[in-house]
Amino acid sequence: MKSGDISYLTKEGIKNTVANRLMTIASVGVLVACMVVIGLAILISENGDRAIKNLEKENVVMAYMKDYSWAQYGEHDKPLKTGTNGEIDASEYLIHNDEEAQDVCKNIEKIDNVQKVEFISSEDGLKGLTKDMFADQEQYFSSFLNEKHGNPLSCAAKVTMENMEDFDKTLEKIQKIDGIDVIRSQADSAKKIVAIKNAVKIAGAWIVAILMIISLVIVSNTIRITMYNRKLEISIMKAVGATNSFVRLPFIVEGVTIGIISAIISEGLLYVCYRIVSERLVEILGNSIIPYSDVALPLLGIFAGIGIVSGIIGSSIMISKYLRKEGSEFAAI
Amino acid sequence: MIESEINMSESNIENSVTAPEKPVIEFKGVSKRYANGTHALEDVNITINKGEFVFVVGSSGAGKSTFMKLIMREERANTGIIRVNGFNLTKMKRKQVPMLRRTMGIIFQDFRLIPKMSVYDNVAFAMHVVGAPNRRIRKEVINALNAVGLGDKKNSMPNELSGGEQQRVGIARALVNNPDLIIADEPTGNVDPNMSFDIVSMLKSINEMGTTVLMVTHDHELVREFKQRVIMLDSGRIIADNVAGGDEE
Ligand SMILES: Nc1ncnc2c1ncn2[C@@H]1O[C@H](COP(=O)(O)OP(=O)(O)O)[C@@H](O)[C@H]1O
Ligand SMILES: [Mg+2]
Repeated sequence: MKSGDISYLTKEGIKNTVANRLMTIASVGVLVACMVVIGLAILISENGDRAIKNLEKENVVMAYMKDYSWAQYGEHDKPLKTGTNGEIDASEYLIHNDEEAQDVCKNIEKIDNVQKVEFISSEDGLKGLTKDMFADQEQYFSSFLNEKHGNPLSCAAKVTMENMEDFDKTLEKIQKIDGIDVIRSQADSAKKIVAIKNAVKIAGAWIVAILMIISLVIVSNTIRITMYNRKLEISIMKAVGATNSFVRLPFIVEGVTIGIISAIISEGLLYVCYRIVSERLVEILGNSIIPYSDVALPLLGIFAGIGIVSGIIGSSIMISKYLRKEGSEFAAI
Repeated sequence: MIESEINMSESNIENSVTAPEKPVIEFKGVSKRYANGTHALEDVNITINKGEFVFVVGSSGAGKSTFMKLIMREERANTGIIRVNGFNLTKMKRKQVPMLRRTMGIIFQDFRLIPKMSVYDNVAFAMHVVGAPNRRIRKEVINALNAVGLGDKKNSMPNELSGGEQQRVGIARALVNNPDLIIADEPTGNVDPNMSFDIVSMLKSINEMGTTVLMVTHDHELVREFKQRVIMLDSGRIIADNVAGGDEE
């Protein structure tokens, strides 16, 4: 095909798109919905990945010890032995004072892969915790403390590891030391984020699959209406010996134009949606949200790809159905 | 009576084999049955040579349009062999159909002009869509419009023209790609009777420049007037093929 033909046919295709406004708008609408959902799913899962990486960088775990607070608030199989005035018997807990706790810290320090151990007394732990809390929760927390007259936090060792690869092994070794109760790491948060990410991925895939089918149906119907509006031209084209690819190209151009318009609108709309969603994401994932400008270009590429492919497929469905018809049959549809 | 007519058409083929003329259209034992079971054509044998002007007549439902559609390859024969302009339509692949169509100009009863295009653009459209270069399009469209006497109406819209003028645009469009064969199924069917004569005269003068013309008509007066070869169909069979033309009834 010569370049003159291509420009002629492209003009024809764009004319069709304009002439067929209403269906074009409908097609663009569904395609945009499809693309925005895809874009949001991508952004959420990318942010999830980034948050998980950030968490993994924090190779710090808290190893809580079996001290008096643990005996009072922790979980126990048997009822506790208590003294005459309700005090818990000293044999019920392993860490009786800060010296013993410091010894545990030293034992942890002996483990390979442990870089640094810092002792956190229960008072320091409580201070740090309330500082991190939001105002309303802090209030609730302090009232809880008043009721119980005590600090529910056990003393702890803040352990920094050298190397994340041996994370699980090192954790096991710390766990085996006498006097250690539970170890809290951010692995739990990472698991939560992975779960959210997977849920978004699965739901997103379904929504996208359904929307893609709808948009193919709509795009192909748009093309069908254009073909119907242009049946006279098509019947003449066939009668004078235009090749099928020549007949087809304006419709493909129309499909692709719809796709490209949708891609551009989606890019803008997603920016707005992302601003709204990112407020929620900040709450879940913390402040390290990916800025839209970082992903704008690749997303536009993805949208353009989706738009062009669905435009081509959507228009081809109808064209191949109708191009089998001959000139006068075409004039009669 | 019918049998003798069939024999006659068969002897025609024999003639064409020995005749020096080059056949443009050849039907050998062609039958066409539509999907619903209608037998539209039965054992049609005919040869039309280069430069002939042929009327195809017959009552409604006789199979005239089917005959034309087989030539254009809008329909395919169930049996028999069809050759048109050097193409074997029986063996032809779908992809070759556009090449066959480029050797013929088709004129429609309903004109099939595109309403939103000017006279000029309607004719140019036929060249654009077969990929003709712009410079040639400009030249040939004007030539074709002058040939049908509409050079001064090139900027008119189709709805500003009479039926006869619209059909002349249709003729210009059929001519513009310089075909070897013109196919016209009732080209005067939607034209005033007094304009019909002009239309056929125009086709006749195109024919005199060497283009083969095949035209379906109901108009006996036209057939008598122009004294050309007449092929008469009835119930899907050729019942008369009068090279002299004129008194077919
Ligand atoms: N597409 C079709 N499907 C089924 N039957 C058809 C079709 N076209 C024509 N016929 C039938 O074939 C016969 C011949 O039709 P046609 O060739 O159009 O006749 P004519 O042009 O001489 O009036 C008629 O009986 C008509 O009803
Ligand atoms: Mg007919």
